[in-house]
Amino acid sequence: MKKVITGNQAVAYGVILSRVDVISAYPITPQTTIVEELSELVASGRMRTKFLKVESEHSAMAALIGASTGGVRCFTATSSHGLAYMHEMLHWASGARLPIVMVNVNRAVGPPWNIWSDQSDSLSQRDTGWIQLYCENNQEVLDTILQAFRIAETAKLPVMVVLDAFVLSHTSEAVQIPTMEEVDQFLPPYLLEYTIDTQEPMAFSVITTPEYFFEFRYKIQKAMEQVPEIAKKVDDEFRSRFGRGYGAIETYGKEGAEVLLMTSGTVTSTSRIVIQKLVREGYSVAGIKVKRFRPFPSEEIYEAIRGARKLAVIDRNLSAGVGGIFAQELRASLYSREERPQVYGFVSGLGGRDITPDLIEEAIQYTVEHSRPEEEILWLGLKK
Amino acid sequence: MSKQIQFHSVSEMPDISVSRGHMDWNKTGTWRTQRPFYEDKTPPCNVACPAGNDIVAFVQKISQGHFEGAWNLIKEENPFPGICGRVCFHPCETQCNRGSYDESIAIHALERYAADFASQLPKKTGKISPQSQEKIAIIGSGPAGMSCAYHLAKLHYNVTVFESSPLTGGMLRMGIPSYRLPKDVLDREMSDIEALGVEIHTGVPVGQGIKIEKLKDYQAIFIATGAHRSRILNIPGEKSRSVLSGLDLLRRINLDGKVKIGERVAVIGGGNTAIDVARSIIRLGKKATILYRRSKEEMPAFEEEMLEALEEGVKIRYLVAPLRIQQRENLKRLECLRMALGEKDESGRRKPVPIPNSNFFINADSLVVAAGEEIETSFLPRGIGKKEGILLTRDGGRTALEGIFAGGDLTSNQRTVAHAIGSGKKVAMAIDCYLKGNDSEEAIRRILVGNGPSLSIFRYLHPGERFRNPHVVNFEELNMDYFEPAKRERESKGRLKERIKRFTEVTSTLTENAASREAERCFSCGTCNECENCYIFCPDASILKKGEKISQQVDYDFCKGCGICFVECPRRAISLEEEAR
Repeated sequence: MKKVITGNQAVAYGVILSRVDVISAYPITPQTTIVEELSELVASGRMRTKFLKVESEHSAMAALIGASTGGVRCFTATSSHGLAYMHEMLHWASGARLPIVMVNVNRAVGPPWNIWSDQSDSLSQRDTGWIQLYCENNQEVLDTILQAFRIAETAKLPVMVVLDAFVLSHTSEAVQIPTMEEVDQFLPPYLLEYTIDTQEPMAFSVITTPEYFFEFRYKIQKAMEQVPEIAKKVDDEFRSRFGRGYGAIETYGKEGAEVLLMTSGTVTSTSRIVIQKLVREGYSVAGIKVKRFRPFPSEEIYEAIRGARKLAVIDRNLSAGVGGIFAQELRASLYSREERPQVYGFVSGLGGRDITPDLIEEAIQYTVEHSRPEEEILWLGLKK
Repeated sequence: MSKQIQFHSVSEMPDISVSRGHMDWNKTGTWRTQRPFYEDKTPPCNVACPAGNDIVAFVQKISQGHFEGAWNLIKEENPFPGICGRVCFHPCETQCNRGSYDESIAIHALERYAADFASQLPKKTGKISPQSQEKIAIIGSGPAGMSCAYHLAKLHYNVTVFESSPLTGGMLRMGIPSYRLPKDVLDREMSDIEALGVEIHTGVPVGQGIKIEKLKDYQAIFIATGAHRSRILNIPGEKSRSVLSGLDLLRRINLDGKVKIGERVAVIGGGNTAIDVARSIIRLGKKATILYRRSKEEMPAFEEEMLEALEEGVKIRYLVAPLRIQQRENLKRLECLRMALGEKDESGRRKPVPIPNSNFFINADSLVVAAGEEIETSFLPRGIGKKEGILLTRDGGRTALEGIFAGGDLTSNQRTVAHAIGSGKKVAMAIDCYLKGNDSEEAIRRILVGNGPSLSIFRYLHPGERFRNPHVVNFEELNMDYFEPAKRERESKGRLKERIKRFTEVTSTLTENAASREAERCFSCGTCNECENCYIFCPDASILKKGEKISQQVDYDFCKGCGICFVECPRRAISLEEEAR
């Protein structure tokens, strides 16, 4: 069945189809309509889910940590300041190896107060041990929710599914909605190794001395290292069942191009038009869409950039003092490699400013025309 | 400390740290600087009840669906739940903390529900065999006398009650019309007391034939003859035979079911007797007008009864004082004076002041004077001690004469049924102390509800059981986060048209559902009702359970004294004190 729905509705469909047992959430723009949709479905009895009303995002995640420890499938959604407020609990969820899935609708973090899209909220949680998957369109949002539960429950790590504020969250697109039966086959119920059993009481995540703490962290890293393989299997199976797949990254444009443009989120769909146009005009240019930010797809990217001379990155985020975070991660992943193309780190579109086709073309032209970037951070669309 | 597993390689380790062991080795209770403990406190309703009912306990029983249990709890303190549930002025409800939130609990309606429920059960009360040689005489079978007889019988004494009237009940029977207290309810609760083995002699006017001093066979005598003499107005014409006293009129209706009276009746007075008289007159098919010398605000009658009287067609004229009564054939002419309100008097009410030359006349076919009651003292033994219209007593009811006690309306100006019941109970304990040679003042001090004056005979009989700290829980001490507004249940009333035709009861008993709902509204101030908030909130799992129920015990090995249980207890049933170390 195909429906014209917003990104937030696509999230809700994904959650319903995943047969989530417990939802705990607190509203925040632009995530609110997700929670509204789900709470109405639960209240009307159409969804057999326990919906917990909480007084904060911190409690929303804390409640899910408890529920997930009990072995049930859990979901929440938040944005910006809500995500920041959850920070402590994000560490707890990953440290306790709980397969919680959360949607974060990318919104700038104030001040100044701003409700529009950029990635500084989700990227400031990059070191919390969560898998992060970024989406380009509403279909991908729905599909990624379904995949996220499979990945989370296999890797025993929490997954954050990320979509852009308003550009996706509040914009309607045609979305193919799978049937419950199809999803049930793709996403069976799961079992936790250690779960709450009142007959056999246990203490979870108990104090662990320096003697062993280190090893638990090592195990999380090892689990993260498994994710590319797990995610690929899940994506392959998804593709065979539903005819759609996304990969950790996706390349498009001219094959073996000299200049590559790396983007994430909805900027990618604008970039596709620009690159198509430039290729037609004779440019040797291609695009890389990065879907999975954590664990960072170093291998996949390295394979994709072989032969390229220049890599432009558009970051819709800023780590003040360094620059764009995707560019930073990319540079780090290339340092030990043999082929190290020049990286052009563009920062653009903060606080929801549109990243227009003209700006993207400007970035590519700059990269083509300059043998090396003049500055560590290239400000795209800044009022100079 | 529990056993730890040693791992030598990361591959042997689980993904997360779990412990199947316990924390017994780490007694976090040693960190505590303050200590929570369960301690029931006194609810304001219990303190306000002149009869000493354990209100919070019986309401809780009703909310649990244990209606007979509720009745048993009331009967511990008060033999008359059916009567009190109907005619008590329920000062408990005025003090109810829920009144500060939405509406107070309809305690009287719940008491009545419990009594009416129990009246449908097979009788269980059997005779209690006396275990002592002492015999006690009680003069008067009103609420004070019979309450005393009830408790003395339960204390295993030989009790004999002397009643001058042909039937027991005193003012309950003579003074209260059936539409407020049906005779079968009265008879049932009276006969329950007789069934305990109390000997009752009706039609024996002690004091007239037999002198009180001559009752030598009895080691203790309780005089509870009430206040039956209508106060007179001291105005010309009052002595005329056709001027009735309010109590006489009620007595005749209650005993004979009828009375001769004219078409238009003027009732003089502003108390409950005046209201009862006027409403009875309406039920006899006549017209009633109450004349009261002060205004509505000063009227001593209970407001609800006054409102019901007005509904039924009683007229009330305020600020009117009678000057003289003139008689012309059957017509009476009442010369009156209009009054204005002056300064407050010693009762705190504004005093009526005559307006000069405001004389006017009211015509009536009958006149009833219901201006208050006085005690009859002519039959009392010499030297018993009187002052300002009441008998003087001390130490819970002793008079100046050895072995003679007094109580009820005779010894107090707070002349309500509940006060009389409480007084009779207190005297029962005082007599028990007297006969055993104990200090009754000390005994009574120990069994006060809160800081009194109500007292509990349950505590007298079972020292230490169902302990309550005398601290009275006020509204500010409750945690309102756990309560939602809920409408007070109301007893339905008969249709006005039907009501005024006969003496059948005006209000109906609550239904079971309504009683349960009403009981659930109770905050249970100061009394643990096992809501388990403490158990849910305790971050150290230190609230212990006994089976399914909380045990009201704190595990001090692990309680850190955070005080969350104390704060989250909705009803202040948990106390917090500094840890003494």
